[in-house]
Amino acid sequence: MSEWQPKILAILCNWCSYAGADLAGVSRMQYPPNVRVVRIPCSGRVDPLMILKGLQSGFDGVLVSGCHPGDCHYISGNFVARRRFAVLKPLLEFVGVEPDRVQFSWISAGEGERFAQVVTKVTEDIRKIGPAKRLVKGA
Amino acid sequence: MNDTERSAARMRSPEGIRGSLHDFLKIAVDKGAVDSVLAPVKVPAENSYAWILMNDPAVIESASPVAPVMPVQGAKALKSLTRKGKGESRILAVMRPCEIRAGIELMKLNQVHFDNIVLVSYDCPGAVPFQDYVKDPGFSEESFGKMIASGRPGEENIKPACGICTEFSIVDSDIHFGYFGVDEGSAFVIPVSEQGAELLDAIGLDRDAKIADWESEISSIRDKRTKKRTETLSAAGERIKGLDGLINAFRKCIGCHNCMSVCPICYCRQCYFDSEVSKKDPDFIFEIAEKRGAMAFPRDKVMFHAGRMTHMSLSCVSCGFCTDACPTGIPVAEIFSYMADITQPTFEYIAGKNNGEPLPLRKFEKKELPLVHEIVKSAEGEEGSDE
Repeated sequence: MSEWQPKILAILCNWCSYAGADLAGVSRMQYPPNVRVVRIPCSGRVDPLMILKGLQSGFDGVLVSGCHPGDCHYISGNFVARRRFAVLKPLLEFVGVEPDRVQFSWISAGEGERFAQVVTKVTEDIRKIGPAKRLVKGA
Repeated sequence: MNDTERSAARMRSPEGIRGSLHDFLKIAVDKGAVDSVLAPVKVPAENSYAWILMNDPAVIESASPVAPVMPVQGAKALKSLTRKGKGESRILAVMRPCEIRAGIELMKLNQVHFDNIVLVSYDCPGAVPFQDYVKDPGFSEESFGKMIASGRPGEENIKPACGICTEFSIVDSDIHFGYFGVDEGSAFVIPVSEQGAELLDAIGLDRDAKIADWESEISSIRDKRTKKRTETLSAAGERIKGLDGLINAFRKCIGCHNCMSVCPICYCRQCYFDSEVSKKDPDFIFEIAEKRGAMAFPRDKVMFHAGRMTHMSLSCVSCGFCTDACPTGIPVAEIFSYMADITQPTFEYIAGKNNGEPLPLRKFEKKELPLVHEIVKSAEGEEGSDE
């Protein structure tokens, strides 16, 4: 068996981060192949349940990324997302999910390089934490 | 809330607060200040109470505005009446402080409309756990009667959530009946809103009583309660924290979702957790079962509670209905209140306040929440740009 590889769910907003990922791709930048990208209309669309469900379904980590604050295609979606993440953070802690397992980031459509760097960093962080204990273990 | 010096009327009745409130309902309908009354009435079998909308004096005569149990959250009754907007009839609703606060949260969620509603609250001694009441209504009635007569909040035979409640007195209602620490048989009728003051004027209650003593009594009880709440909840948090703690806490859960259906804040027509999408494919379940060696059913117990927490903890008013409705005795309210006390202060938000503030997720500041920047990590370690 080869070495354990973390599986990371990347939830990216259509207008910035997904385009950023696309740019990283067409620019042939190298980044770890551990992310599985889900495209969503806006980071404001992310229900905390999606993150919990991702962890429950076997992902070792979740990365959520949207437009930089102020750049939202829908004007305020990412501001609301930021508030939602602020609520989610203590909840994840309460549920016993390591803080670094779920990360948030802002990546614009022009930041292909940043996308590659964020993915590298997140992958390394999660590799260090190890495989996820499933959210609903035997219970 | 009016900031001007608070003046109150005084009502007396040989039956104490219950008598005064009862008289008040009759006068309000009699003088035409309201069209009807929404209050608990004992069911004919004498083992529970139900919310009744009434304008017949004979029915109002049978009302029990201060009922020992809370079978249905008053905010839910209010929602049935006003969910589509302002009604034709002007209704006076007598509810416990937590029911009014839940109603205010539902108002912010556009599920309740207060336009034609006059809210009356009272110093709440707590409520008897519903199962205790059903088992022995006689004993519960007696112990609750003593509680009210003592003019202090209850300590024993009340719901756990009531024992640590800090919002047992005046809330953002229209009229408040204060009687804790007031001489027996007498109660202060305090106008809280302009609408409340107008109603008191309309029915001719003179506001000449001084309530400073009552106010200091309430704040001293509140201080004690706040301490007790912090202690109880932080102990519970420590006990339950982490995945193993949560799994243990919810091991008894039978997945009935009672806690959700009685919760005033959970108003969604269909919950994700009741939907087909939330059900896992049997193949997937087999796959996980094989990896773990064993599998418990029903599935998704912790997931359900954690998920519900993410959705409603910002609006949780700690009314304790979830614990009351749990057939297996899980202290659901304690766990949810613990989380609410963490998430609400993030936005300096207090659920149940009617001060024009929208729900925290309905507004934002351009620069806020360094806490999120802390977790927004970029490769260079720089902070997420703020502009």
